[in-house]
Amino acid sequence: MAQLMHRVVLPVTFGLAVLVVWQGVIEAGMVSKLVLTGPVQIVTALITEAPTLLSNGLITLTEAVSGFVLGSLAGLATAALFIRFGALQRAVFPLTILMEAVPVVAILPVLMLWMGNGMAPKIFIAAFLSFFPMLVNAYRGFSNVDADVQELMLSYSASPEQLFWKVRLPAALPFMFTALKLSACSSIVSALVAEWLASDQGLGYLIISYGQGYRVADVWAAATLACLLALAFYGITAAGEKWALSRRTR
Amino acid sequence: MTSASAASLTRADTASEATGAAGLVAQGVSVTFRRGTQVIDALKDVSLNIPRGTRAALIGASGCGKSTLLRVFADIVQPTSGTASHYGLTPAEARANRVYALVQQGSTMLPWRTVIDNVALGLEIAGTSKPERLERAAESLALVGLKGFEKSLPAELSGGMRQRAAIARALTLRPRFLLMDEPFGALDEITRDRLHFELLRILEETGATLFLVTHSIAEAVILSDKVVVMTPRPGRISQVIDVDLGQHRTPATREDPRFGHYELMLRRALHHDA
Repeated sequence: MAQLMHRVVLPVTFGLAVLVVWQGVIEAGMVSKLVLTGPVQIVTALITEAPTLLSNGLITLTEAVSGFVLGSLAGLATAALFIRFGALQRAVFPLTILMEAVPVVAILPVLMLWMGNGMAPKIFIAAFLSFFPMLVNAYRGFSNVDADVQELMLSYSASPEQLFWKVRLPAALPFMFTALKLSACSSIVSALVAEWLASDQGLGYLIISYGQGYRVADVWAAATLACLLALAFYGITAAGEKWALSRRTR
Repeated sequence: MTSASAASLTRADTASEATGAAGLVAQGVSVTFRRGTQVIDALKDVSLNIPRGTRAALIGASGCGKSTLLRVFADIVQPTSGTASHYGLTPAEARANRVYALVQQGSTMLPWRTVIDNVALGLEIAGTSKPERLERAAESLALVGLKGFEKSLPAELSGGMRQRAAIARALTLRPRFLLMDEPFGALDEITRDRLHFELLRILEETGATLFLVTHSIAEAVILSDKVVVMTPRPGRISQVIDVDLGQHRTPATREDPRFGHYELMLRRALHHDA
């Protein structure tokens, strides 16, 4: 009971208190309504703008998830190729690290020239930013096989494929989920920022267009939805991790 | 008795020669490692003959090349010169045909696999069907006294139980040679003592040839018919001592005056070389 008190009641009470004080500050007129709006107004905006928010949210989510899946798969495949072909790893890895330094959002205009104004460049950016965490972490995970295990597998005359599927891949699983959890949040943010720069749909576009109309509560409502989407995406990935790791130890 | 050839003239050896089956044979094996500009002679001109069915221990100070010699037989390290063979097969052929099984110092279990799936790993790699490999793994587990722990995870076992599981994993391959690299080194003395006699019983039941690397004098004497003493820099064989304590050994064997005699002999051999 005392534990429940500490774990749930205290933080919830504190959170509610913050909301009440926030609303109080707004109601007292201490801050201009153009600068900050109150929680009540944000919730109201979430309800009245729900259809617009949800349809645009779905677009942002689609871009983020597509980019996340494509980028993570590409990163995983590249890491597997690096493990299988050491020469390839030595030749290509420095270049990939250099590529990671490319501020991809800054080259969005070029991407739009190539891919148009639709979802494609946003998916590309989300994928680009999901690629490197997976590549680096999966490669580390695949390499995380100690010499004794490799020696044992050698004594069994195991093929490189058997070593990969039976040892390297399961050993890398926790590392892969580290990357996935990282990319789950960053893919939402990168889709959002890309929409922000050039788009006519999605939550990023919506935030800009609300902002230009000084619809502060609506901006906050869109930001809240983006936040909820990122949290949900992270939560699903974390649940996937639990499931996969428990299945691994059957 | 300073060379391997002198030591190979034992009763067991003449018996194996009669049946035409050589055991573990090394002829003039040298291994050199290069570390930067430094050249290290891990093994220098090592010749050895361990007849089939013999229990052999390899003892020496660390860095004497005993693990390297085991790895030459396991086809994990390639000799710079000289040849090694098992029953007339090259180490590469022996590895490909899974003639030997390796037991390492750490039990090296895959932590995400249950004990039985770890024990069945070698057969899984060999392509044995699932029902058969699980049946054989269960048999081996029973042989090492781990019945009932099939579905446990390695982390749930004690160090001694994990090492038993590693022995069971080697036995599922039904190897003719058990190559063991300090398999009991990480265990406490009580557990080690118990496992010694279990290993002896298992060897009696399976008829496998033992090739054991150890740094424990008592372990070498109680477990083997033949102790190969090695000296470091360069790694070479200094003596081969036949341990005549009979085929069947029990904890009482340690109270046999001959046991103390062999221990003393080995200690002198090791210190003489050092």
